[in-house]
Amino acid sequence: MTHFLGKLLLSATCWMVRIAPLILFGLVWHLVCSAQLVNKDFLPSPLAVAAAFVDLFSSGEIATNLTITLFRAAVGLLLGAGCGVWIGVMMARSRQFREYVTPIVGGTYSLPKSALIPLFALWFGIGNLTAIAAVFLACLLPMVVNTYHGVLTTPKVLVWSAEALGTRERELWPRVFIRNALPDIFTGLRIALGFSFVLAISAEMIASTNGIGKLIFMYGENGTYDYMFAAICCVVIVAFFSDRALLVVTRRVLVWHESGAFERERPRP
Amino acid sequence: MSQLDLRATPFAWRSVVSVLCFVAFWEIAARSHVAPAILLPPFSIVAEQLWYSTFDGTLAADLSLSLGRAICGLVLATVGGVILGLLMARNRVIEWLADPLVALGFPSPKIAFLPIFILWFGIESLSKILLVAFACIFPVIIGTFSAARAVSQLFIWSALSLGSGRLSLFLHVVLPACYPRIFTTFRIAVPVALITTFTAEMVAGGGGMGGTLIYSQRFFESPTVFAYIVVMLVIGLMLDSAVRRFQHRFLRWAEE
Repeated sequence: MTHFLGKLLLSATCWMVRIAPLILFGLVWHLVCSAQLVNKDFLPSPLAVAAAFVDLFSSGEIATNLTITLFRAAVGLLLGAGCGVWIGVMMARSRQFREYVTPIVGGTYSLPKSALIPLFALWFGIGNLTAIAAVFLACLLPMVVNTYHGVLTTPKVLVWSAEALGTRERELWPRVFIRNALPDIFTGLRIALGFSFVLAISAEMIASTNGIGKLIFMYGENGTYDYMFAAICCVVIVAFFSDRALLVVTRRVLVWHESGAFERERPRP
Repeated sequence: MSQLDLRATPFAWRSVVSVLCFVAFWEIAARSHVAPAILLPPFSIVAEQLWYSTFDGTLAADLSLSLGRAICGLVLATVGGVILGLLMARNRVIEWLADPLVALGFPSPKIAFLPIFILWFGIESLSKILLVAFACIFPVIIGTFSAARAVSQLFIWSALSLGSGRLSLFLHVVLPACYPRIFTTFRIAVPVALITTFTAEMVAGGGGMGGTLIYSQRFFESPTVFAYIVVMLVIGLMLDSAVRRFQHRFLRWAEE
């Protein structure tokens, strides 16, 4: 019991040390504001932002708009990831398919996807479909490229072993190729997750009447900057925690993989 | 077929066919009025519009403005990111200070900060350049940091025993060892810079490719919208292949 408590205390202290700079950062921000080093209109004090944050939460404004944005990002991400894995597998599987698809994948891969938002707004009008289509395309390409790469780098030894142990051809795909591609697929998924937020918010800023991107932009145009800062903080927090959640899932799924440490973004010596 | 298909393709005629099919399909679909011309102008008219924009100089002006912003932002991000990453890797206090900020900033959608940048740095180029730098700096910091941490201790000891000082250790051992990773992250940063520039121009105006694109869309000048998207696609492709060629040329020693 004491052992457990001690461990808890230790990890809590570790966390406090890690996030201390953030508190320091807030403190400096507060001091800059209260000493009136900068114009109050340009940089609202952290207390005002916190008050706005609480107000946005209690009025439900954040919850409604955040749900809309997350819905768009999630639908686009899921569709894009699903189709991306399928296309990537097909590309590795058949040379004909690969040759037909390569120029289209290569072209759209390096196209800045936000350029398509005005086009989608023209086609699908203002609202859900435009944002979802933009997110879908942005998430599709990294998934295709990573899945293709992962399947392609399957060691021959694995295939031969599986065959020698009596795996039928049909079972080879899910059991060997796709499993070998899983680390790459998760890498692609992490990139796609980042893109899904960027594209959903961009689409809302350009062509939407609701969602968190529109909310931020609207507060910016109205000049209610404390609310604008609070909404941006909210976006940062949500993006951070969804990224962390994906990392946790990745670690769970890839326990068997020897480079289980690969998803830690900073290897310590 | 359930095995992998690894046969090399000397000349991928199917790729050419697929591009031609795509263009032909587009042209036929538009000509047969599947969709109104406002939504889908024929390819030939888009090409014509592209020709006009190229020759009356609007395209060149927009393109140079946008690319200038993107490149300025990229340079700022690379220089700042490399310096910060190296400092974080070699100094504990700086690492402790910057670590939570980088961890929080890396996954956040930087475009959400655009209104803050407009508020602080105005609506012209400066706010866009700084936003691009802000968007690109995090991958560079993280890449440089982990590369600098992974520098073999053997190299560092060798350099120290041969009498190199702190600065020359940095410049001649640690930094060159990080080049390959820095370049890989640079390749990630280039498309991010383009996306951020175009989006910022679309949202905040102030000219450039994105500005003209959204302006044409509002006035339903669809041929211009399509022509500009085609140009953006070509720019993306060209930049990516240029970076790749540069990497291949100068960082050959790092390739396995």
